Amino acid sequence: MKAGHVKTLVLFMLSLALILPAASVQAADPIVLGCPLSTAFLYGWDAQRAITLAVEEINAAGGVDVAGEKRKFQVEVIDTRDLEPGVPVSEALLAVEKLILDRGADFIVGGPVRSEAALAAMPLLSKYRKISILTTGALSPKYHALVADNYDKFKYCFRIHGEAKWLVKEILTSLIEIREKYDLNKVFIMVQDVSHARAAGQILSKVAGEKGFDIKGMEIYPTGTGDFSMGLIKARKNDAEILSIWMDMPESSILLKQWYDLRVPALPFGSTLAAAEQPGFWAATEGKGEYCLANVVNAGNAPSNATDWTMKFYNAYEKRWDIPPEGLGSSSSYMAVYVLKDAIERAGSLDPDKVIAALEKTDMMGVYGRLRFDPKSHQVIPSFDPKEGAVGSIFQWQDGERVVVFPKSIAMGEIQLPPWMKK
Amino acid sequence: MDILVYGTINSVALALYALGFALVYGVSRLPNFAHGALYVLSGFITWSALNTLGLPYPLAILLALLATAVIGAVIYQFVLIRVRGMEISEIIASYAIALAILEGIRYVGFRGMTYTLPVFLEGRTTIGGVMVDYHRLLVVAIGAALFAGLWAFTRFTRVGLALRGMAQDERAAMMLGIDSDLMAVVAMALGSALAALAAILLLPLGNIVVESGYNVLILAIAVCIVGGIGSWFGAVIAAFIIGFAQILTVVYLGTHFQMMVALLAIILTLILKPSGLFGQQKELEERV
Repeated sequence: MKAGHVKTLVLFMLSLALILPAASVQAADPIVLGCPLSTAFLYGWDAQRAITLAVEEINAAGGVDVAGEKRKFQVEVIDTRDLEPGVPVSEALLAVEKLILDRGADFIVGGPVRSEAALAAMPLLSKYRKISILTTGALSPKYHALVADNYDKFKYCFRIHGEAKWLVKEILTSLIEIREKYDLNKVFIMVQDVSHARAAGQILSKVAGEKGFDIKGMEIYPTGTGDFSMGLIKARKNDAEILSIWMDMPESSILLKQWYDLRVPALPFGSTLAAAEQPGFWAATEGKGEYCLANVVNAGNAPSNATDWTMKFYNAYEKRWDIPPEGLGSSSSYMAVYVLKDAIERAGSLDPDKVIAALEKTDMMGVYGRLRFDPKSHQVIPSFDPKEGAVGSIFQWQDGERVVVFPKSIAMGEIQLPPWMKK
Repeated sequence: MDILVYGTINSVALALYALGFALVYGVSRLPNFAHGALYVLSGFITWSALNTLGLPYPLAILLALLATAVIGAVIYQFVLIRVRGMEISEIIASYAIALAILEGIRYVGFRGMTYTLPVFLEGRTTIGGVMVDYHRLLVVAIGAALFAGLWAFTRFTRVGLALRGMAQDERAAMMLGIDSDLMAVVAMALGSALAALAAILLLPLGNIVVESGYNVLILAIAVCIVGGIGSWFGAVIAAFIIGFAQILTVVYLGTHFQMMVALLAIILTLILKPSGLFGQQKELEERV
């Protein structure tokens, strides 16, 4: 054989050696993440963007190692529309079922986003033995309570973001700090007429009362309410000093503008207050939303240095989508993909029982702190300290910026009062 | 006093929502289910004219009013005219147009809660000890001027008189030489412009979101059913009844019953007086 031929042969063999492993990666079936999300709504599209970002990062790094085989993630999204008024829960269930049966989802990540729909989807996940990690919106404590009460049936359900009871604890602790600093003690609660908000309002009313707060009333607003004047007048007449607002409906921006226009001397403190969470809120209200506090459930949804990963995620999201993380579903949706990858790799399989066992043993540092699930309820373990658990995030709009003010361990500034409230 | 002040504001807002719907139905007997969608669309047209084209606010408003009127006329001329007189088809066709408009808005990327229009006047005052912002007062003032203007228009102008003639008896109007289809186009354009005007006045109080198209439609229908479908005067009276009933409900029963008022009003009207307070479809009563 001539030397030239040998060279060609060696070159060919080398090329083949390089191409073959890559080809085997390409050939491996992707792991399909089914994402039932209300994509026209903030808590749906922020989750979709965060999941996409995480999947792109993981795939770019080679994918998921399943017992030695590298497999990529593939995202399949169906719009559940469950955050839109008047859309029945059954629409979300159809979306979940379609993701499983039609799109071949191996795992469900994201929603359904509305608590009512997420709760209704639980038996469906059991029926098809599909592991689901809730990452956005659904805050009802009933979700993880059901898993704890009926583990064998609902063991497929995990939730990686905070839930209403913990949010109430965060808010209560923050309220106590506000009371200590500014002597504000009278709370007026305004909630949207949806499951998690009603539950949270009732819990807050009870526990804040026990902590010595003077609860001046609780108003429940149907989704789509367009005028809040009477509620605000009632708050003013009752000398309320803090407005605790639990609303994700778009009309909540009417409430905040009205609060400013009427100069109501009560600090607006929002939870799931979607209107105030978006970075564009300041411009949209021409600064009228200044001093509004918003609980964005987990760190990373507003800028802070909770962990080394927090700002890395924050900046990566902004670079990818030209806008910073927008709502409460961003960091948790991003982390769910990484947590799932970690669990699959430890399980070495996609078998639901093995992955469940691996998820229950999850212990990793993420964007919003140490991530572990309660093995009985499958709820992420929360904490005020990112070294111990999933840490929340409450920010206040100050001079056009979302300044994290709670918990102290990650705070970037202090709570301020509007000029018409200063004593 | 707060009930009086905010009851009036709420009532004027409801009347503004409903006036365009009542006008179109009154003249052409066409239930325009695209009314709420046109309301939202005009909001986004104004927003785009302001923020994308960089037009001054008054010019943006004018553009939105004109554009929505033209869109309304086009909808009638190219779609609704073909199904006119077939009630179910009218509803289906106009609702399909509404869905196309609203989903189209969403499709092109107008989603989220950060789209808003600036208020006309910043500041606040107190009326009888009740604080109220200037923009809401302006809504009441412009609303009152609009009702008066519409009343004068339908009594002292040829087009207005033709519209009234159509509303009273279409066949008799045609016998007098009034072009039925032309008047229907005019009514649709005017009704759409009224939807746009309502949007321009009321959207600065909150934000522009697709979902509000459905709410506006429901409220407009409730007001028109109570007032008597087709009666513009009835729509205004009904708006005040429902508007004050909502505020009283909030004060004495609780905010979560507020949305039920409009729906309850529809049910009660259909049971007790199906043609509504000032309705002209007396055959409905005869059926009952």
